[in-house]
Amino acid sequence: MTDITLSPENSLRHGESLFRVRQLQDNVEARPAPSRIAEPARLNPLPSKAYFFWLMAPAIILLACISIYPFFWMIYMSLHEVDIGSATWNNFENFTKLFTDTRYLKGWALLFQYSLMCLALQIGIGVFLAVVLNGARFEKVLVTALLMPMMMAPIVAGLVWYFLYNGTFGWYHWLFQSLGLLDAKSILASPNTAMLGIVLVDVWQWTPLITLITLAGLKRVPQDQLEANMVDGASPLRNFFSVTLPNLYPVLLIAVMLRFMDNFRFIDSALVLTGGGPGNATKILPIYLFEVSFKFFKLGRGAAIALTLLVVTIILGMILVKVFDRQQTRKI
Amino acid sequence: MARVTFRNVWKKYGDFAAVKDLNIDCPDGTFLSILGPSGCGKSSTMRMVAGLEHISAGDILFDDKRINDLAPKDRDVAMVFENYALYPHKSVFENMANPLKLRGQDTGRIKDRVTQAAQLLEIGHLLERRPQELSGGQKQRVAIGRAIVREPKLFLFDEPIAHLDAKLRAHMRGEIKHMQRTLGTTMVYVTHDQLEAMSMADQIAVMHEGELQQLGSPREVYNKPVNAWVAGFVGEPAMNFLTCELSREADRLSLSHPNFSLALKPDQAGCLNGTTGTVRMGVRPDALAISMTRPAEPVITGEVFVTELLGGDMIVEVQLADARIRVKTAPEFAGSPGEACYLSVNRDKWHAFDTGTGRAYF
Repeated sequence: MTDITLSPENSLRHGESLFRVRQLQDNVEARPAPSRIAEPARLNPLPSKAYFFWLMAPAIILLACISIYPFFWMIYMSLHEVDIGSATWNNFENFTKLFTDTRYLKGWALLFQYSLMCLALQIGIGVFLAVVLNGARFEKVLVTALLMPMMMAPIVAGLVWYFLYNGTFGWYHWLFQSLGLLDAKSILASPNTAMLGIVLVDVWQWTPLITLITLAGLKRVPQDQLEANMVDGASPLRNFFSVTLPNLYPVLLIAVMLRFMDNFRFIDSALVLTGGGPGNATKILPIYLFEVSFKFFKLGRGAAIALTLLVVTIILGMILVKVFDRQQTRKI
Repeated sequence: MARVTFRNVWKKYGDFAAVKDLNIDCPDGTFLSILGPSGCGKSSTMRMVAGLEHISAGDILFDDKRINDLAPKDRDVAMVFENYALYPHKSVFENMANPLKLRGQDTGRIKDRVTQAAQLLEIGHLLERRPQELSGGQKQRVAIGRAIVREPKLFLFDEPIAHLDAKLRAHMRGEIKHMQRTLGTTMVYVTHDQLEAMSMADQIAVMHEGELQQLGSPREVYNKPVNAWVAGFVGEPAMNFLTCELSREADRLSLSHPNFSLALKPDQAGCLNGTTGTVRMGVRPDALAISMTRPAEPVITGEVFVTELLGGDMIVEVQLADARIRVKTAPEFAGSPGEACYLSVNRDKWHAFDTGTGRAYF
């Protein structure tokens, strides 16, 4: 076909359109006469506010006991010098000291490094596995097998990997050393590789979660959009990036949110593996917090650190929720 | 533009044959409608043309070139999906630009063509919006816009207006037909709505259970259905069927029924070609005339069962000895239920079908 198709001068009378929408709407939207129905004299009463309050009271009271009370207690502690049995006001010293505490500041840097490495690897590998597994033969069996690391208690996972990394009898240590990737020092004992060591454990344990979430997302990618794009002229790879991936964003955002919050909280395996060492090479902030509070028993300072960690987690979480909302409103 | 040929095309899902030995020749520039109830294989047929389904057996040709093994992107067809299949994360402009972008056209040209197409479809003011901000009718126009920005060999429309409300649907029927005539591109249009097929197509392919029943112009399919199934499927209200005995009096062949005995015209008797026993008589509601007084000519007698006023027309259901038939008449008809009434048949417009195979005698 030649260019005449879309040129109004040639194919249609000038100013005429193929679809005369406005005229149609004028036809359809003939307005009815204004209503003459009077408002009812009395409206049926709605249940009182107290009624709703009492319905929610049990849940609020329970929440207050297990969560709100400790939260305010933490704020109280963060403002005081706390000893067993006594607490003295100390003019925000717990907070002001944090700004000069190099281990605290480095803890943040390490936490972001740790979390970003975990997320990047988990999302990358997780999505790849999901795409490979989606619609594969034995999909269900393979997914079940893949999920097994997730079922393990993180502390057990940490211990298992601790033995695998061990410099004397660890299998991975032997493997990497035989491949020439590692010098005499063990993986967790070298400041260069220790961080990678704890990242790998997290990736091993939690990539399946990403795969699972992504698989669920893949099942929801509208087939007709993929097909439309194919007919429009897209190759399979292009189709993945221009249709599948955008449709996956919402689930991936949920995955990112879950995992980054976990990274900010869960330190079981890292604590077992390195305990923050060697030196302070893996002392991510939650580990430092654990040490300050429960090894040195500086409960006031610990509470201050915990509060800053909480605030940053909430802010990051809110940013993600915001992005997520924007994505959601794009859905049909 | 292209001529599309189906040559002994089969589609099998395991043991189930969705399309059986389909042969259609659709000349260049034709509006072909594939009509049938759900599950008749019409969508499978279209998807094979688009390259979204493997062709189990046989060939599909565009201008005598076999396209079985071409990827969808290399077939140069444009498709409009039942659910529009717009990309929710892209704006209307990006949606419409997609086929051009994927074909590596430069930005300026893409912009020109999308703007032109949007103008033709009167959606120029919507280009920055996203699909979820559009109404059903607007989405559907965007989907059509995405199809026409390119100049494909072939349009494939898969029930594109099935989800619109009745008024808009009626409007779009005219618009799509006008668009196809204007652009002159070959069109394959799948629908389950016989009214859409009748009102838009040059050629209708009626399918049932994977088999092509009849291929012909809307007039042919309506006036000369090849079997009882096509006759019953096309037309609204549906054709009435009555089982009749063939009886011969002197040299005249008649259709006998407890309520009537009507003589066949000589050429119709010829079509029956010595058949004896029972046949199914088919007559459309608009080929019957109803009256409350007995006319002079031979008629069907029955009693009014119920009347349905449709505004400009009235449908009267008439109770006969073993069946009810529907008659289309003027809204002034004044019979009430239970009253005797008399129906006369336009014998140029009745049909007889084999009771077993359903094949039409005339």
